Amino acid sequence: MLKAENIFYSYDDGTKALKGIDFQISQGEIVALVGKNGAGKSTLFLNFNGILRPDEGNIFVDGDMLKYDKKSLIKCRQKLGIVFQNPDDQIFAPTVEEDVAFGPLNLKLSQDETQKRVSEALKRVGMSGFEKKAPHNLSGGQKKRVAIAGILAMKPEIMILDEPTSGLDPVGVRKIIKLLKELNNEGMTILISTHDVDLVVEYADKVYVIVDGEIIGKGTPNEIFNNMEIIKKANLRLPLIAELFKKLEENGKITGLNNNYPLTVKEGYEKITEILK
Amino acid sequence: MKFDMDFIAHNNNLSLMNPYYKLIIAILIMLFSLIVNNLIIDIIVFILMGILITLVAKISFKSYLKFITIPFIFSAITCLYLIFFTGTGEIIFNTHFFGIVVTDKSLNLGINTFCRVFACFSCLGFLALTTPIAEILHCLRSCKVPKIFIEISLLMYNTIFIFLDQLDRMRNAQETRLGYFGTKSAYHSLASLFTNLFVKSLDKSEKLQCALDSRCYDGEIPIYKPSKVKKDA
Ligand SMILES: Nc1ncnc2c1ncn2[C@@H]1O[C@H](COP(=O)(O)OP(=O)(O)OP(=O)(O)O)[C@@H](O)[C@H]1O
Ligand SMILES: [Mg+2]
Repeated sequence: MLKAENIFYSYDDGTKALKGIDFQISQGEIVALVGKNGAGKSTLFLNFNGILRPDEGNIFVDGDMLKYDKKSLIKCRQKLGIVFQNPDDQIFAPTVEEDVAFGPLNLKLSQDETQKRVSEALKRVGMSGFEKKAPHNLSGGQKKRVAIAGILAMKPEIMILDEPTSGLDPVGVRKIIKLLKELNNEGMTILISTHDVDLVVEYADKVYVIVDGEIIGKGTPNEIFNNMEIIKKANLRLPLIAELFKKLEENGKITGLNNNYPLTVKEGYEKITEILK
Repeated sequence: MKFDMDFIAHNNNLSLMNPYYKLIIAILIMLFSLIVNNLIIDIIVFILMGILITLVAKISFKSYLKFITIPFIFSAITCLYLIFFTGTGEIIFNTHFFGIVVTDKSLNLGINTFCRVFACFSCLGFLALTTPIAEILHCLRSCKVPKIFIEISLLMYNTIFIFLDQLDRMRNAQETRLGYFGTKSAYHSLASLFTNLFVKSLDKSEKLQCALDSRCYDGEIPIYKPSKVKKDA
């Protein structure tokens, strides 16, 4: 569905942000891209929808190679919606509803259809009733949700979210994750960048680990988080549950995990009930 | 409490009034006072607008005061300049300082200018404080004001808030680290504040362009005009 082949990108000041990225995401997946600050996550995302043009390498959307003329860029951006890391970069209109309507109207949808989508999108992110508010009067978390609604209203095939949960309260995080899972069930492909390893294991089908502009690991959460080498290299840590089981194992309280730690609360719960039996 | 014009524009007794009326009232009265060019009329306009803003729209006097202080200072400086440094005619006050004098003509000019500026400004203030910017822009749009003008105002309006917010944040950051402790460091901090602000604004504009492009922006901001007006309970 979305594929990147051997992407190199450097910024004008000479920073080599991406060094030969290979990346693939298939229809219906939820993929997480994890990596420390400055690893190149945001840069990669901007390469995906043609805002930045790679120095080398190609992007494929639905099998078509991305060309950088106006028409194919528009086509690409209809399919790929990006929610920016900082909502202030994205939200520009004087009212919430006008901002959310911006995308759909650019897709040349009618006013009625747009209105439907705006109210639906706002409802889904839990921001109904804020239609007429000025975005700069919203809190950080609320802005984030409006930013998500702005992309949601465009109904892209792939939704790319750059750290959607940073700055949200715990309930807000849960809601966003729940929303993303719902969207995924409805057939939307989702790509998320994040540092939050505890969450990644909850929702991701596949994890890519990026370090200094290179992908150093990809696989299921289980494959990634049982590979301590990757975790160390990427400046990550294990999910807390796995951390707990690792400690128990090191102190000889549990045996037989074979480097296969439970990652989520659910898995941990099952493991413990199994042991207690 | 920070002065929040947008909040006021959305929450006053006149914010639901038809924006066209407000626009027409403001512009007509402004034109009237400009054309008539009479000191008394200017003062009456100013008082009238003050009444409309504080008593009819029920915007607190304090907010209104805050709103007019900055233009007050600017026009006061301009008019003092007019009074002291221009004009000919009969000398009515001599400062005995570098031959700076006040003449009857310059005094007249200064006071007249001041009152005119203020009459016009209070009309604009009435519009700005009672009408959300989105509505003003809608009106202008349907009055066939060129699109480019409206789009620039829209983006500028948004950027001003981000700009002020940014300024606020950076100042706080500097103050937290005692950046304004002592004259020398204060100058230094202020200088870096402004350079940083400039660089950041450039960066912001670039990012905004990226974000607009990501949502299929094609050089023209479309107009959102929902046909059915749903009222939330
Ligand atoms: N506009 C720019 N000009 C020059 N260098 C940049 C620019 N934007 C990012 N970089 C550099 O490119 C590298 C990758 O940055 P990027 O923003 O993609 O990281 P990230 O993985 O998104 O980090 P974070 O988790 O902090 O959001 C960093 O070393 C950064 O300093
Ligand atoms: Mg980033």
